[in-house]
Amino acid sequence: MKFIKKIIIIVFCLSLIPIAAVATVGAKARFDDGPNRVFSGGPLIAGDLHTGPEPDWSFVESISTIEMQLLDPPLSRRIWTAEYGGKVYVWSGYMGTTVGRLWKRWPSQAERDGRAIIRINGVRYERELKRIKSGEVLEGITAAITAKYPSQTTRTAVEEGGVWVFEMAPRS
Amino acid sequence: MDKTMKNFYWFTAAAVVLTVLAVLFFPGVEDFVERTFQRYLGQAAR
Repeated sequence: MKFIKKIIIIVFCLSLIPIAAVATVGAKARFDDGPNRVFSGGPLIAGDLHTGPEPDWSFVESISTIEMQLLDPPLSRRIWTAEYGGKVYVWSGYMGTTVGRLWKRWPSQAERDGRAIIRINGVRYERELKRIKSGEVLEGITAAITAKYPSQTTRTAVEEGGVWVFEMAPRS
Repeated sequence: MDKTMKNFYWFTAAAVVLTVLAVLFFPGVEDFVERTFQRYLGQAAR
């Protein structure tokens, strides 16, 4: 019994090392202007704020990821994006699993308050995230997603709730 | 507490402090930690 207790203590102590590493990276990211890979970053501060007419979003087809910040909470993350029909979209997979929902909290936060700022090529855009749960438009959006990324997102996956898709509409 | 365990606790404490310092101040460590974490997280979320 004493031996098993000792083993448990050793495993626990050793696990503190990677936990400390991950926690430090996560905490450090909160103070950055923008996100890194996994961890949320701080608010998007740098960059001109876009004003004027709605841009031609087709330029995002050549951009791998964008930075997106919700106003509440003011945290940013790096995210895939796709354009379809002159509109620009973001999405989150893994929403059908518990780990996924714990990891990806921004979709439910965006559903509560969709106000967001995105930064592309150093320019910030004020947007309003609007979730799309069903409809014909999902055929086109998911086709645009799978054409751009190594993703198997389908309309069915979106309608079943495994993938949450948001249109980044202009903020009114 | 026997001496071996006491030394082990000191080793763990030193390793945790060094890890935190490495992440904060050594270029590339943060990126490595994040890439590794992302890989495991991605597998767990599937």
